Amino acid sequence: MSIPKLEFPPFHLPPEAEALREEVRSFLKETLPHIETEDRFASWNTPSPEFSRELGKKGWIGITWPKKYGGSERSFLERYVVTEELLGNSAPAGSHWVADRQSGPLLLRFGSEEQRQAILPRITRGECFFSIGMSEPDSGSDLASVRTRAEAAPGGFRVNGTKVWTSGAHRNHYCIALVRTSGQHGDRHKGLSQILVDLKTPGVTIRPIINLAGRHDWNEVTFSDAFIPESCLIGNEGDGWLQVTSELAFERSGPERFMQNFYVLRELVRVLGRQPANRAASILGRLIARLWTLRQMSVAVAGMMQGGKSPAIEASLVKDLGTIYQQDLPEVARVLAESDATTEEDMADFLDVAQYATMMAPSYTIQGGTTQVLRGIVARGLGLR
Amino acid sequence: MDRETRDMLLETADRFFTERCGREVVNGVEKGVWPADLWKEIEEMGLPLIAVDEDKGGAGGTLADMLALLRLAGAHAVPVPLAETALANLLVARAGGVPAAGPSTVALGALTLEGNRLRGTVTRVPFASVADRFVGVAATTEGPKVAVVPAANATVTETPSHAGEPYGTVSFDKAVCEFVGASPADGERAYALAALVRAMQMAGAADKVLGTAVEYCKQRVQFGRPISTFQAIQQMLAELASYVAATIAAAEAAARDADEGGFADGGSFSIAAAKSQTSDFAQRIAAIAHQSMGAMGFTHEHILHHYTRRLWVWRRDFGSETFWGEKIGSAFAKAGPQALWPSLTASAYAA
Repeated sequence: MSIPKLEFPPFHLPPEAEALREEVRSFLKETLPHIETEDRFASWNTPSPEFSRELGKKGWIGITWPKKYGGSERSFLERYVVTEELLGNSAPAGSHWVADRQSGPLLLRFGSEEQRQAILPRITRGECFFSIGMSEPDSGSDLASVRTRAEAAPGGFRVNGTKVWTSGAHRNHYCIALVRTSGQHGDRHKGLSQILVDLKTPGVTIRPIINLAGRHDWNEVTFSDAFIPESCLIGNEGDGWLQVTSELAFERSGPERFMQNFYVLRELVRVLGRQPANRAASILGRLIARLWTLRQMSVAVAGMMQGGKSPAIEASLVKDLGTIYQQDLPEVARVLAESDATTEEDMADFLDVAQYATMMAPSYTIQGGTTQVLRGIVARGLGLR
Repeated sequence: MDRETRDMLLETADRFFTERCGREVVNGVEKGVWPADLWKEIEEMGLPLIAVDEDKGGAGGTLADMLALLRLAGAHAVPVPLAETALANLLVARAGGVPAAGPSTVALGALTLEGNRLRGTVTRVPFASVADRFVGVAATTEGPKVAVVPAANATVTETPSHAGEPYGTVSFDKAVCEFVGASPADGERAYALAALVRAMQMAGAADKVLGTAVEYCKQRVQFGRPISTFQAIQQMLAELASYVAATIAAAEAAARDADEGGFADGGSFSIAAAKSQTSDFAQRIAAIAHQSMGAMGFTHEHILHHYTRRLWVWRRDFGSETFWGEKIGSAFAKAGPQALWPSLTASAYAA
């Protein structure tokens, strides 16, 4: 049979990672009660510069990076434990999340020495936050069709175009923008580059895009003859596509793809009380089993990455399953709470929690690569295209 | 056994199952034909004794070795009680007995033991009507005991499973045992191990279902092109792959935890989660595979049903997602919301 084997070799996080887990837990227990956030249940997209600074003091942002850039030179698996503990304990990790997950690693891999020195230590201190400047009004899943242009100008580039769905641009310091630096629209992957954009640059305008829940996370970022110095080009001119695809691997494989609404499950346990009826216990247990499986898969992927493999298909499968689970969770929980919450009050409160989660759920199968795009990647892996 | 030995054994077994467990053999069992030669060869290869110590005539493998073999057996719909006998032999050996030759099965349920006489009725015992003996675990005042009853001392009412395998209800009415021994595994543990065996067989079957559907869609031409080139089909098969991946990952993680955690209680939460997960997705896997293969896959002629019907039967065997979900849910509810995350990361029942 010619199809590649789907394997998720069970993987143990090493003892040093488990030891770090305990440290992170006690830090969070102590710190979280003092942090005010805009969300009742915070997650990786809830901003809190204050929390990020505290985390930075512990050396847990950019934890794998070289010490000379402020990192702690710890393993990818230790980073994994930090991220999952932040998610499992509803920490407001939104300010630094993107910088820690993909912008910093991108600069580390492709950036100039000057860029690394200027930016990375500030990220690790929890003082410098990033947005992703990939999508545009006409370029979503088809990212290679971006139109934003950076034309050569004395000492740098003149940038014109529009980015959308730019989460946190109104709060963050930088955005890494995918732009066309040569060739024509229609050249696809060729002639694209990434540039480091200080969001305070003249000619860069940030306007809110309010989501269906009335929240302001997204922005439209417009470039009108914005001047970006040459020193802000990341890597070589024309390498943008290569960089973006390597970033997407980080963006897709993490535990945030199945833990974003973990609070729903935890609150469900609370409202069902200590002795739920058999049927309710069973439905709860099935949800727990699904989450456990996702975690086993995700840890296995982390193990493969630590072992030097690039499990792109496996990562896509985890994100696909994880987002579907997160969409099922509030719906299953809602119905269950209506029949089995211990008190009317608990039920009413939980239904609000679950309703909010349901309202946010459509974003899960869109952000970080739509389910359909991911399934296209998997289909290619299966030899179907 | 070391990695290399295990891989060699699996490779040999894979070739053997491919040659000897073809469509006719599987269909034959459904018609009531016992493949005596196949069983004899399986015994000659030592497969039912894979996890029995060498001094008892076994291959000296671990529980993990046995489970890896049974995942493979699941991928071939091996229509004889290899899984049941391997588990029965393991239980007997760990209770101090020496496993006898011949097909056995496990009869796991409420059983009582007085001296060497066993009492109780167990429903849906796999391969009940072809087994030479039944292995059960009974609670006694001296602790759990493994009891082995020869088929002649039990009453079997055959009710074939929906996969066409000779399942049945087995009654022991003061049945004389040929062996009784103190067991490190109690009845609940034996049941969990059987559930783990089924989870691994389901992982094998699920993998085979995916491979079968993918190959079919690449061959099948409609509207002038292979249907695998249609996005609708590609999306379906990718979704199928995600459920298969979850099934494999859950079963393998539980197999690892059960093996590492010790025979008496290792990986008890992981097993529950894995059987819940594998049972939960069995229908999604079967449904997509059948949809992708149209009427062809719904025929008795095609082999797809060897695997999808087993997935449907195995998800019910030794606890469905309802049973294991309830165990998990009750324990986690009892421990409360703050214990949820620490328990999940420890792969342990919340306490």
